[in-house]
Amino acid sequence: MKILKFNAVWCPGCLVQRPIWNEVLKKQPELDIIEYDYDLNEEEVIKYDVGDKLPVIIMLDDQNNEIKRLVGEKKKEEILDFLKER
Amino acid sequence: MIYLDYSATTFPNSKVLKTFNKACKKYHGNPNSSHYLGVKAKKEISDATLNIANILGIKDYEIIYTSGASEANNLAIKGLCKANKGKHIITTKMEHSSVVAPINRLCSDGYEVSFVNLKSSGLIDVDHLKSIIRDDTVLVSIVGVDSELGIKQNIKAILEVLKEYPNCYFHVDATQMVGKTTLELDGVDLVSFSAHKFFGIKGIGCLLKKKNVKLIPLIDGGASTTKYRSGTPTLELILSLEKALSLAYKDFYVKEKYINKLNNDLKKFLASYSNIKINSTKNSVSQIINFSCDNADKFVQLLNKNKVYLSTKSACSSADSLSKSVSAIYNDEYRAKNSVRISLSYVTSKREIKKFMKIFDECYRRVNKDENIKV
Repeated sequence: MKILKFNAVWCPGCLVQRPIWNEVLKKQPELDIIEYDYDLNEEEVIKYDVGDKLPVIIMLDDQNNEIKRLVGEKKKEEILDFLKER
Repeated sequence: MIYLDYSATTFPNSKVLKTFNKACKKYHGNPNSSHYLGVKAKKEISDATLNIANILGIKDYEIIYTSGASEANNLAIKGLCKANKGKHIITTKMEHSSVVAPINRLCSDGYEVSFVNLKSSGLIDVDHLKSIIRDDTVLVSIVGVDSELGIKQNIKAILEVLKEYPNCYFHVDATQMVGKTTLELDGVDLVSFSAHKFFGIKGIGCLLKKKNVKLIPLIDGGASTTKYRSGTPTLELILSLEKALSLAYKDFYVKEKYINKLNNDLKKFLASYSNIKINSTKNSVSQIINFSCDNADKFVQLLNKNKVYLSTKSACSSADSLSKSVSAIYNDEYRAKNSVRISLSYVTSKREIKKFMKIFDECYRRVNKDENIKV
């Protein structure tokens, strides 16, 4: 399983999520996360149809198929639930 | 045309343009040159700087001229954090992207960020600020008046908390404050703003820095008016900023009273629509009225077709469809996604407002009668 994170440096929601993700990663350091910048990684933004609301978290299976996604600013519990329900 | 987006930008006052043109023609010298023309140009900048400080009511501050508020915010945040000890920053969820972005960059370099809670009035929760401030907090960066709801923070109350923490510096993004409100900034370590928000020219802003505050410059190079920002001093723009600032605070209370009246009339008008929710609070400045309604995007597009120009949210956001300020205070995604900002100025006429109300009513009824309307 792989997690794709789409953020932008100017995005308030992405900044708000930073400390939350730091806590999540302390609990689950094994997570395989690839971070993409909304402005710099245009190819991936189009490929994964990221849309106009950030941040976007996409969970992929081992064959790189999308399982599900989380869009917008979320609470820690919502992120943990998202990661739990694989 | 009815322009009601003065918080996004204003058009330069003709007297400001005259000052700019005159300065271009009259002062040929590089202010850093030691010959007569250079000395003359430098003197003009010194006089303008003194006058700007007087208008702003600041003492013992250095005025650093920048290309605008975005650069000033970047210099304040990155420059201060890199020059001082501490790896923790406190801010709010209402900040402009030019505050969010440098903090985000610093977080990539190991800094931590915390967000101070906002009360339903939009003011920051000072008790919460006290509880999250740490020994390693190097910076508290808070927007003086936010661009979406226009909430004016209580700077004095924040200063009162921070005086217990001498190693923690206070930055205020005053971009929507200057020209709109009276200023009580004495004691704040760093203050940023831009001239084009108060009928000045785009391309000039300021970072006010208390003299004892250390910064690492973002732009290195030769001498300028300051060691904190290199580049040939932009005399023409500096003089135009001084002019715009002096005009903004000329007859200020008369202008304020007039805008208060427009604000009250508009709020009464909006309150007559049962589906409109006013998001501005009692702490919002009179120049900004924010509300939410169904189909806000379509509604604003239709207004636009009728030559009425206002914003669905702050003009400086993209690819992030929610109003961050509405979201932060009301925690209501629908409301945040459907927010509209009217921003007024002292040049907005009563006639324009009357005409606006008529067009507003027609467009609102049209959009909400037929949700599938193609604008």
